[in-house]
Amino acid sequence: MRAITTTVIDSAPLSVRELARAVGAEDQWVLRLVEVEILHVDTPAEPPERWHFRSADLQRALAARRLERDFGANLDTAALILDLQSELRRLRALMGAHGLA
Amino acid sequence: MDFKDYYSALGVARDAGDDDIRKAYRKLARKYHPDVSKEADADAKMREINEARDVLQDKEKRAAYDQLADHVARGGSPDGGFRQPPPGWDEGFEFRRGPNAGPADQADFSEFFSSIFGNRGGMGGAGGGPRAAYRERGEDHHAAIEIALEDALHGAERQISLRAQEIDDQGRPRLVERKLDVKIPAGVRPGQYIRLAGQGLPGHGGEPAGDLYLEVRIAPHRLYRIEGHDLYMTLPVTPTEAALGAHVTVPTPAGGQVDVTIPKGARGGMKLRIKERGLPGKTPGHLYLLLEIALPPADSDAARAAYEQLAKAAPFNPRQHLGG
Repeated sequence: MRAITTTVIDSAPLSVRELARAVGAEDQWVLRLVEVEILHVDTPAEPPERWHFRSADLQRALAARRLERDFGANLDTAALILDLQSELRRLRALMGAHGLA
Repeated sequence: MDFKDYYSALGVARDAGDDDIRKAYRKLARKYHPDVSKEADADAKMREINEARDVLQDKEKRAAYDQLADHVARGGSPDGGFRQPPPGWDEGFEFRRGPNAGPADQADFSEFFSSIFGNRGGMGGAGGGPRAAYRERGEDHHAAIEIALEDALHGAERQISLRAQEIDDQGRPRLVERKLDVKIPAGVRPGQYIRLAGQGLPGHGGEPAGDLYLEVRIAPHRLYRIEGHDLYMTLPVTPTEAALGAHVTVPTPAGGQVDVTIPKGARGGMKLRIKERGLPGKTPGHLYLLLEIALPPADSDAARAAYEQLAKAAPFNPRQHLGG
């Protein structure tokens, strides 16, 4: 069997359309994620056609999708929950790095 | 394969309404969410309730599941074992992905779920026949792949098995298992996604297939812990090495060894950095060594005498700051 060519999306980032497809959403939904700062783009002044998204963005978009669906969270609330989750993981990693986890 | 009782997984009655299911799900999801739960089996429970919710909140899937549950209750084997859905169990049902369902949701669902609904959010065309005029790009598909740290360091090829629902020439769904040989690039990190173009669900009406996204997970390693690009390892040193300084030999993740200088007066918890010996990449990570002072056992007269001599030679009160 021939091994399939693979790409880590951080070396070939996703467009708005590709990210939307990957999470089963419309392009407009991805733009809303940027608006509420769940996703951050390097070049916000550029038109959305030029925006790029990496693994961490896909992970956050999927998590936002689940929060929206599972808990009926609106995207502003989802943004806060995701930030708190990130902070929790950062602190746990810090504890781990100091042998406290 | 055991039959899964989705109603008892959520703790709801067979006639529970959408609202009851939603409330039960939310309550359990808060209890078992991996970020906050103290339960030992939180991950498995979360997967179970996600799966139950996915079926019971979708009218079509729920109706098909109920029919299957009735069938098993009537004619199931005495031990309640479940082998496979009866032929034609899904006739008349057509599953579609709900407007709020993401394609990643089924990545971790059970074999039981896959045997009924396939490893995807919905299946089109069951009993509906081919849709000649229907044109749509295939949906993207998600799965996870767990690799060893060594695979992330050196790159590797791994075979994965995926099961997905496909529609045959008669428009009937069938479960197809396929194997893919996947190249793991060196330097890949946990949480990154590998994209396999065209390996998602097939398109309709000549449109291209979707893509497959594999979320990378790295199995725990006996020596190293991963943090972004960096690797952490606990390095035990003796009190003598910590106090007087020393040169020690340490294995490196990519193989081989490196000489490390322990500075004089080193303390437990001190972090030493070995530059660019972490995960490879455009910006290579570092290897961090966390010092841990390991006490020589006082298990002989000579060792006990040496400790007593040290106490006399270097009087030291580590509790001074406590007023002790």
